[in-house]
Parts: sequence; structure tokens; C-alpha cells
Amino acid sequence: MATVVEGGRDPSGAVTPRPQAPVSGPELANTPLVIRRREDEETVVTFPYLVWREFLAGLAAFVFLMLVSIQINAPLLQRANTSITPNPAKAPWYFVGLQELLERFPPIMAGVAFPSFVIIFMILTPYLDRNPSRRPQDRKVAIVLFTIYLCLAVAFVVIGEFFRGEAFNWDWTLILGHPGLSSPV
Amino acid sequence: MSATPDQANPVRAFVAQLWGSVFRHGLPTNDKVAARTALTNFFLHIHPVRVKKSAVRVSYTLCLGGLSFFLFILLTITGLFLMFYYIPSVDSAYQNVKDLQFVAVFGDIIRNMHRWAAHAMVITVWLHMARVFYQGAYKPPREFNWIIGTFLLLITLLLSFSGYLLPWDQLAIWAITVGTNMAKYAPIVGPYTRYLLLGGDQVAQGALIRFYVLHVIALPLIGFLLMVVHFWRVRKDGFTGGL
Repeated sequence: MATVVEGGRDPSGAVTPRPQAPVSGPELANTPLVIRRREDEETVVTFPYLVWREFLAGLAAFVFLMLVSIQINAPLLQRANTSITPNPAKAPWYFVGLQELLERFPPIMAGVAFPSFVIIFMILTPYLDRNPSRRPQDRKVAIVLFTIYLCLAVAFVVIGEFFRGEAFNWDWTLILGHPGLSSPV
Repeated sequence: MSATPDQANPVRAFVAQLWGSVFRHGLPTNDKVAARTALTNFFLHIHPVRVKKSAVRVSYTLCLGGLSFFLFILLTITGLFLMFYYIPSVDSAYQNVKDLQFVAVFGDIIRNMHRWAAHAMVITVWLHMARVFYQGAYKPPREFNWIIGTFLLLITLLLSFSGYLLPWDQLAIWAITVGTNMAKYAPIVGPYTRYLLLGGDQVAQGALIRFYVLHVIALPLIGFLLMVVHFWRVRKDGFTGGL
């Protein structure tokens, strides 16, 4: 929480009123000139406190990726061949949700209307959400709506990636394996 | 004779001057020196000198924004190495990638790391967006930074998508065929958009060079510019901090 005070502050802590300069727009007139932190809010120097943490996080990410890269090779199939269509042909995993939508809805809805709607809605989010509070208990509607959106997005990607087999038909065997075989094929 | 060590030893004096000309301050043994170091160092200046402790708790940020930026840097560096070997031609691209995987020293690790870091970045950017939403960190005065973040998410997806074609294997060409076929469904502009993106009706040489240029120059530059503005606004608006 920050306490907004008008005017500058001299080293003794007293607030000196700042002469009102002519401003053009209402936004400019309302811009807080000094943001003073409350005394009970504990602050730290970013260097080295924060920079050290960032370094450790980066190092951990690097080590993790290095181990993964040593162990698991990036996929490389046969040379590209337009006359051999793999079955199923799938988009990259983050677009597989979109492919799954196309399977269920008319193309104009799934390929155009839904994605445009999501992007426009995302851009407008801060302007549509007029609730000034950031506390979770005050924003139940926003949190529920966003959670539904996230769950749907993840669900469509998971279905497209793990439950769609030949010709993009529903296929349990991708994760469950064939009955009678000991391991998934 | 009471000469100071610096006067007595010109080498030591030179080293001291060299060090002092690069780093203006000693080790951050107290907050005052630490603050001055942060103020005078270009790279550290990305941060304010002091922040609320609650705003930089790992349990609050989950490091997601920082990790996304770190992965972007890692992808730039590994991508640079890959560019030494890769020629964006349908005749050689696949063989170049094979060479990277099996011939070039550490080529496999560099390529694997580029691939896995790209997938990881899609996930971290996505989770960063979710984190910012759940904490309401897009609320005034940070509305516009949320919009920049939305575009950064789209740039991340496009970067990953354009890179997907480059190995020129069966996975690449058919994923891009399926992906760009989706563009066809847009009314009126759809087929034209697809033609523009592929430089033709099929995923062929025209598409490969377009995706390559987008992947190594255009999209990273746009992304970098958006990132600079994104970080600058975080710096100016301050960290949101505990709820």
C-alpha cells in the first residue's frame, strides 16, 4: 500500500505544497506527484538482494535445461515430404487447442471468432474490470471467469495432444495403450 | 619513507584505476554502497534502488517474468550458435540440422536446449500472464503494460511457431501446414494472409525463408522492443507487492 501525498518532500519529512502548474488534461492534474511508502512496509535494496535471487533462479533454470538437453533429444523426423501426410497431422501443442476447436465448431467460429474474441477480451481486460480492489476476496467473479478460461484452454490442448489419434478422431489408446498389450503403443 | 602502496607499486595502481573506472563502487557491504551501485550501473538500473520486500518474494512473483526474460536471452544465444550452421534452403536445411544433431561439437545440446527452452518460454509467459491476472496487477496504473504483455505473449507464440518449420522435417512441414490452414478460415483476408505468410500456396522454399527471417530478425526485434517498454513501465509504475 502506498500513501499518495500532494507536493514534494524535504529531508525532514515535512510536505511542501507544490505550486499548481497549469496542466492540460484531467489525467495530468490527477497524477500523484510523490508516492510515499508507509513506514510499516519493509523495503530492501534490489542490489544485491533481488539481483542475487534472480541470478539463482536463472542458474537453476539453466542447470535444469542443460540436464534435460543432455538427456532428451529434440525431435527430428524424416526429411519434409509433401507427398507423405502423417496421420494425424497436428499443429504445435500450443495451437492444438485451436485445432481441437476446429474439430468441434464451424471454421468461422473456431478459426476466427473465438481467437479474435479471446485476444480482444484480453486486451480490454484492464478496462472492463472496473473493480479497484486487488484482494482475491473482492474479485470472485473475475477470478472465476479467468479460471474457467484457463481450464478450457488447457483442456482443449490436452485433448488435442493426448486424446486425438488417426484422422484426429478420439483415441483412448494414446495414453491407455491397447488392451492386451503391456505398454502403451 | 611512507609511500602508499599505490605509489610504491605502479602495477597495483593501474589495476586499481582500471577496476575503479569500470566499477564505481566497492562491494555492497552496506545499503548505502549497494544503492549507489544500483544507481550507477547500467544493467542494474533496470531495477529501482529499493523495493518492497513483499513485492519480490519468490512466493509472490514465482520468478515467472524474470524466467521468461532469461529464457529469451538463452534462446538468443543458442539461436546464434544454430545460425552458424543453418542455411534456410529446402535443399540443405534438413541436412544442416542433422549435422547439428550428430556432427557439430555440442551441436545436439545447443539444439536441444533451444528447443526445450522455447517450449518452456511458452509455458512461463503463459503462467506469468495468469499470475498477473490472479493478483490483479493489471489494474490502474498498469493497464497499458498488460496490453504490451498480451502482445509479448502473441510474439512468443509466433516465435515458437516460426521456429517450428526450420528443421524442415515431417513434423515441421505438417505442423505448419495444419497451423497455416487455420488462417484460411478468416473471411475474405484468410486465403490472402496464408499466401502472404507462405509466399505461395504450399509450404515450400518461399515459406521457409519467410519463417526464417521472421524467426531470427523480425519477431525477436519486435519482441525486444516490447520487452524494453514492458520493463521500463514496471520500473516506473513500481512493483505491485503483497495483496
